[in-house]
Amino acid sequence: MAGILSKERIIARPGFNRWLVPPAALAIHLSIGMAYGFSVFWLPLSKAVGITRSVPCPEGMSFLERLVATTCDWKISTLGWMFTLFFVFLGSSAALFGAWLEREGPRKAGAVAACCWGGGFLVSALGVYLHQIWLMWIGSGVIGGVGLGLGYISPVSTLIKWFPDRRGMATGMAIMGFGGGAMIGSPLADILMKHYATPTDVGVWQTFLTMGLIYFVAMMAGAFGYRLPPEGWRPAGWTPPVQQAAMITTRHVHVNEAWKTPQFWLLWAVLWLNVSAGIGVIGMASPMIQEVFGGRLIHLPGVPFRALSEPQKQQLATLGAAFAALLSVFNIAGRIFWASLSDYLGRQRTYFVFFGLGTLLYALAPTAGRAGSVALFVAIFCVILTMYGGGFATIPAYLADMFGTRYVGAIHGRLLTAWSAAGILGPVLVNYIREYQLDRGVPAAQAYNITMYVLAGLLVVGFFCNLAVRPVAERHFLREGEPEPAWVPAPREAAVKRA
Amino acid sequence: MSDSSDPRDGRPSPRWLTAVAWLLVGAPLAWGVYTTLAKAALLFK
Repeated sequence: MAGILSKERIIARPGFNRWLVPPAALAIHLSIGMAYGFSVFWLPLSKAVGITRSVPCPEGMSFLERLVATTCDWKISTLGWMFTLFFVFLGSSAALFGAWLEREGPRKAGAVAACCWGGGFLVSALGVYLHQIWLMWIGSGVIGGVGLGLGYISPVSTLIKWFPDRRGMATGMAIMGFGGGAMIGSPLADILMKHYATPTDVGVWQTFLTMGLIYFVAMMAGAFGYRLPPEGWRPAGWTPPVQQAAMITTRHVHVNEAWKTPQFWLLWAVLWLNVSAGIGVIGMASPMIQEVFGGRLIHLPGVPFRALSEPQKQQLATLGAAFAALLSVFNIAGRIFWASLSDYLGRQRTYFVFFGLGTLLYALAPTAGRAGSVALFVAIFCVILTMYGGGFATIPAYLADMFGTRYVGAIHGRLLTAWSAAGILGPVLVNYIREYQLDRGVPAAQAYNITMYVLAGLLVVGFFCNLAVRPVAERHFLREGEPEPAWVPAPREAAVKRA
Repeated sequence: MSDSSDPRDGRPSPRWLTAVAWLLVGAPLAWGVYTTLAKAALLFK
């Protein structure tokens, strides 16, 4: 089995069509992208015991008792911890195993990711069946989270090597899949839960089991579709530009050296700030449009959100979900659009657009809200979401330009810790500012204004971080003929070096 | 997309294989986008 998965076994034969690699990458990214769609399980899981209604746990039951209780239902807020686990383990496993991926090759990494992500679903199915939330957290959150990280970075360097002429487009295609995974997974889960539901069962554990198997097969197919180009391979008819752009290197920086450079940390900040702003918007999209426009959304202009009746609020909730769905389409469209455009525009200029245009749009959003222009408000956030997705999809090519292609998968893995950090900063910032505003009597329709200006401020900082990015200093590059450094120094060797 | 029996046989990858590979990932993605857009359409009604 190890032989089949080895790096040496996947060197492509002459005549191999490089356009077979993006579908393999998409098979993996579309599967792991379901992480974004897990909220589809929360409502049925919050009624797993009571079936038709949620059975609350007795007052005074401790946290540990709730973790193993089988007679009362889980709260949605407890289930929501899954998202935190996803992003923490995605970032940390990508950072930890990126170097291993470069050494062992993408097929082995993809296969391990399939086992972790698919296997995580199976453990979660057991957790739901036994009604043990800690099993779900370990299954999908921890084991699945490791699968997320490995699966996410597995195709990056392979695609960049296959598409040296269109690095942005190639990685954009794969990362678009991560954005699109929930679009397939959420409705599929909904269909499966309805199919498996009975008067005594909400049908979730069976859905987990089915989806785990589907994802395992899809991801294994993707992993076995990976091929690496032979050393020195170039697309037919393509020659590297003679006049090489200053911001694109043809040499390589080792992963252990890359994070000692200011460029790594500037790009870390660039990703962190861009994602923090976008994640904040994604998290609050639905309540935001409802509270900002209130009755105007259902042809009752002038009626604030709080003055609406319950049925009217239900109507608004449906429209809020529609707004969130629309944003997710623009999120994935932006991944392929901006990453492809960056091949022509240059990576740094593309990020200047993200930060410049993004600042302008965030600052304009409160004005659109005050003017009561739903169309303008929706359009602003659709464009913002394209740039959120574009930021994710363009960063691998930016890294390859700065640090070379040899270790870009591992370097990208380490950079993804910025995503984990953004997963904490963005929602916390948005939620706390909103609460603070509401506590001080600011009307709900205006509670997001300060938030928008703060997010615009984050993008201004990101603009200057991007502006500070310069070509990597000569001393960081591997020299021609220099033996490849060890991935991680052995403890004794490291101790000797320190001494 | 299994390994070729001779990895260096030099034959070009068959076009149907590329088409099938794209169809396998493109069809579910198109369905997902359609479902999402149908949901989002409520915003414009």
